[in-house]
Amino acid sequence: MIFSAKKRATESLAGLGRISLLAKEAFLSLSTLKVAWNDLLYQIYFIGVKSQTVVLITGAFTGMVLGAQTYFQFHKVKMDTATLAVVGVSMCDELGPVLTALMVAGRVGAAIAAEIGTMRVTEQIDALRTLATHPVDYLVAPRILAGFIALPLLTMESICLGISASYFVDVHLLGIDATYSWSNMLRYTHDIDVVIGLIKAFIYGGILTLIGCYKGMTCGLGAEGVGRATTEAVVYSSITILITNFFLTLTLGKIASLL
Amino acid sequence: MIEVRNLHKRFDAQPVLDGVSFRIENGESVAIIGRSGCGKSVLIKHLIGLLKPDAGDVLIDGENIVPMDERQLLRVRRKFGMVFQGAALFDSMTVEENVAFGLRRHEHLTEAEIGRRVAGALETVDLTGTEEKNPAELSGGMRKRVGLARAIIYEPQIVLYDEPTTGLDPIVSDSIDQLMVRVRDQLKVTTVVVTHDMRTARRVSQRVLMIHDSKIYASGTPDEFFASRDPVVRQFIDGVADVRKN
Repeated sequence: MIFSAKKRATESLAGLGRISLLAKEAFLSLSTLKVAWNDLLYQIYFIGVKSQTVVLITGAFTGMVLGAQTYFQFHKVKMDTATLAVVGVSMCDELGPVLTALMVAGRVGAAIAAEIGTMRVTEQIDALRTLATHPVDYLVAPRILAGFIALPLLTMESICLGISASYFVDVHLLGIDATYSWSNMLRYTHDIDVVIGLIKAFIYGGILTLIGCYKGMTCGLGAEGVGRATTEAVVYSSITILITNFFLTLTLGKIASLL
Repeated sequence: MIEVRNLHKRFDAQPVLDGVSFRIENGESVAIIGRSGCGKSVLIKHLIGLLKPDAGDVLIDGENIVPMDERQLLRVRRKFGMVFQGAALFDSMTVEENVAFGLRRHEHLTEAEIGRRVAGALETVDLTGTEEKNPAELSGGMRKRVGLARAIIYEPQIVLYDEPTTGLDPIVSDSIDQLMVRVRDQLKVTTVVVTHDMRTARRVSQRVLMIHDSKIYASGTPDEFFASRDPVVRQFIDGVADVRKN
């Protein structure tokens, strides 16, 4: 049992080492502009445009639920008009970037792992290498760069729609005063909240695409290997995003308080 | 020129190559034969740097590729074209995009010039007019031909074939054999074919290397192999499951 735990710990550390090396190679590729640029546009389309439906639905309903739930609590202490302010700050700082990243990890992270994993088991990645093309330049770097670009844009959409949906519920369904609601939201939601949300989204975009690529590039052989890589890509991306969010909240919150 | 010196490779505790050494001259055509799982494909992947050996050297035109990292290897790989066992075509691309891949990535050519070169490569492999097809629409033999067109389009010095006729019927296998001979003679390339099909080895190669027990067991011309009295060689050539029956 001790041997098994030691082996698992060693494998985990080795995995961390391998994903760090992949990240280093991807950033080297990006910094030396060896990226397959024609593929970048397609990846932005795939990660950004094709994820909009799921991200917008998530953002809208999260905003509405948060608006309603906050109202039910605040109404008890006659703070109804502060509801939208809470929604605004929550959507910008936490729910917008985290839920967007989790939804995109489920859709895109899995797709990236499956696509690259299938290429690996059918020797297409070896074929790339024999054609004097570095797989990181061609497969990994465009996806990571697309993640960096697409996630902040999707998060911005999610935040806007979440706040708008909450405004609709608060004002039109729950009867909160529209002017006070809007005014308080603008008063308590600062520029820095939006910036924090976008920084988080930028980082999560890198995390979920990197983990998807890593799982695809290292997947086991056969259909079972691809299936496992796909599942692990979603699970590991989601866990990493949630853990990273805690540390980013602390760090960025501290920095924001100093500004 | 390809030179392999004392190559060792094991996967976990299983030795696959145990002190393999040989040399292939420029323009030479060599077949590497052996039973399934004997390490033929592992060996050919070492020649192009797809696998790293545990020990030993692989020299391409006098340059040792073993200590090179992936980016340094890209330069050396431009001397190679490789045809994979399952063709390994990019399934998200058309035939034209597959064949033109190397040109678009590495050479600054106009689309008209690329189109002309792709048409020429497809003509060489008798697949004129298939440019817009997807790999999924092609038969096994056609996929191998597209793989060959992709491998030869940028005129490499060395072409590696990994089990080029495995899984094909005898007639298609014969056409692939003829194609390999045509490419060898037209482009004057060094040819290395990994196969367990003795008919392919005899047609395509000037010299045969046989791997057995993780080592080069025998080496000679195809005719010498067919005339061999060695029980291991005979068993392989005659396709007999038990050596005692021979």
